[in-house]
Amino acid sequence: MARRVAIVGVGQTYHKSHRPDVSQMELVNEAVRPALADAQLRMKDIDAVYVGNMETFEGIYLPDHSMVDFSGAYMKPGFKIASGGTTGASILEEAFHAVSAGIFDKVLVAAFEKQDSGDSTGAITAATTPAWGKGQARGAIHEFAKQALSYIKHSGATEEHAAMVRVKADKGACRNPYSHLKLGLKSVDEILSSEPLEYPLRLFDFCPQSCGACAIIIATEEEVRKITNKPVWIADTICVHQEIFRAGAFCDFTDKERYSQEIAAERIYKRNGITNPYKEIDMAEVYEPSDWEEMLIYELFGLCPRNEGWKLVEKGITEIEGEWPVNPSGGVLSSNPIGATPTVRIAECVLQIRGEAGEHQCTKDIKTAFATALGGPNWTSMILLKRSL
Amino acid sequence: MADEPQEYIKVTYTKPRPYRWAAGEYLSRLYQECRDNKKLMTVRCQHCKQHVWPPAKVCGRCKKLSGNDWVEVSDKGTVVQFTYTNFPMFDPHAGRYITEEYPFATIDIDDSEIYWVARLEEKDKSKLKTGMRVQAVWREEDRGGGLDHDILYFRTIEE
Repeated sequence: MARRVAIVGVGQTYHKSHRPDVSQMELVNEAVRPALADAQLRMKDIDAVYVGNMETFEGIYLPDHSMVDFSGAYMKPGFKIASGGTTGASILEEAFHAVSAGIFDKVLVAAFEKQDSGDSTGAITAATTPAWGKGQARGAIHEFAKQALSYIKHSGATEEHAAMVRVKADKGACRNPYSHLKLGLKSVDEILSSEPLEYPLRLFDFCPQSCGACAIIIATEEEVRKITNKPVWIADTICVHQEIFRAGAFCDFTDKERYSQEIAAERIYKRNGITNPYKEIDMAEVYEPSDWEEMLIYELFGLCPRNEGWKLVEKGITEIEGEWPVNPSGGVLSSNPIGATPTVRIAECVLQIRGEAGEHQCTKDIKTAFATALGGPNWTSMILLKRSL
Repeated sequence: MADEPQEYIKVTYTKPRPYRWAAGEYLSRLYQECRDNKKLMTVRCQHCKQHVWPPAKVCGRCKKLSGNDWVEVSDKGTVVQFTYTNFPMFDPHAGRYITEEYPFATIDIDDSEIYWVARLEEKDKSKLKTGMRVQAVWREEDRGGGLDHDILYFRTIEE
């Protein structure tokens, strides 16, 4: 019988393009300490430590080994996961499986990316093999440029809709003390006149490269009662892999393929008796590398019919004050410490469910939320969180 | 952001940087045909009867062994999507920044189920259109470096 598991502590660093003041290990420590403080635990209470980082992005080998003193993993079991964009969710899923199965009682997960070292876009480009794709790959941005083109073709959404998503993200970011980009955007014109990156994407349409870390502590039900009176329960997690579509990683302009997001959502909703996610779930923190992708994601996670994601934006439904908030934290468009990005999504959902998000707390009461991650050739992780089970 | 636009300096590397990489049974057959005969070949899946692209031992649609029904593929197609980069991007395979880049297009290859992402010769953005007809331009000498080496780009054609 699987044991119930809850999140009892979260901690994150502020996110920034450059952190010359700290090493990678110090950055991780900066997230681990507030997570422990949040749970009122000490490292001696923790059974295992799972670390997440895309080490090829920084170009160093086995960072989890060099930072055991800083992550708290010294003389404890655990491992590192590097699964691309989903890294920060994969560590929580694996920790959840272990605690749920009764292997450990309390696990700390810590993820980070320090993008002022190395070259993430270069590393992503190098994910193509010398035998196929060499000279073709252009980091993540090339794939999301194609995604935007496909979305425009099928949905009829305009550049203004994408820009509205970006303005929404910035509104949240400006109210979030941890955000990297706080641009103070006033209108969609500022996005539409920003520098072109890769057609049709402009500078403000795409996520930044951030340095940052995030840590989460989970515990089994028996321990939870001793630790906190504000647990956030992990109702379920799911991970779905996908191969590259026939003409790209994140888009399908033929509109015939099924997306990993749809499959993940379908399965996790069914397993948890959710028939109408819009009514039965209150909000989400999703992994949206571009403003165009966020609109597609609304559809794939079942918040609205296909090709109508932009209508949610137009009506302001996904704003902090809206009927169904998405990424009140400012999302990935505002802060993107890649390995930690999904962990931040989960931690932000936890703050919203506890009612402790401060200035970017959603207007509506958040009882149930989901956090998602996206990576590789459109892989999806999804974590369903609840105030009570 | 700097006030003055940055000037990118082009540095030419002359030292060879060889590496070994096994392309595998199926890709190797395509590459041999490219090198020796300027021909595009792939396998038709024995289950779904559709072209597998790039040629692979396992069909991405069926997740089953694709078999050995090798067929020639047209080097002409129609542009269905195109993008171009407006900033220099580092290419780790080449060890340099790509500053004068060709646009990239998703090309619907004639008489096939193949969508192929490849470079376009046309750098004038005002002349790029979806639906334009293109044909592969082969490297005349020194072929054998894989498909992205042997085919320079796709050229706009009038029909």
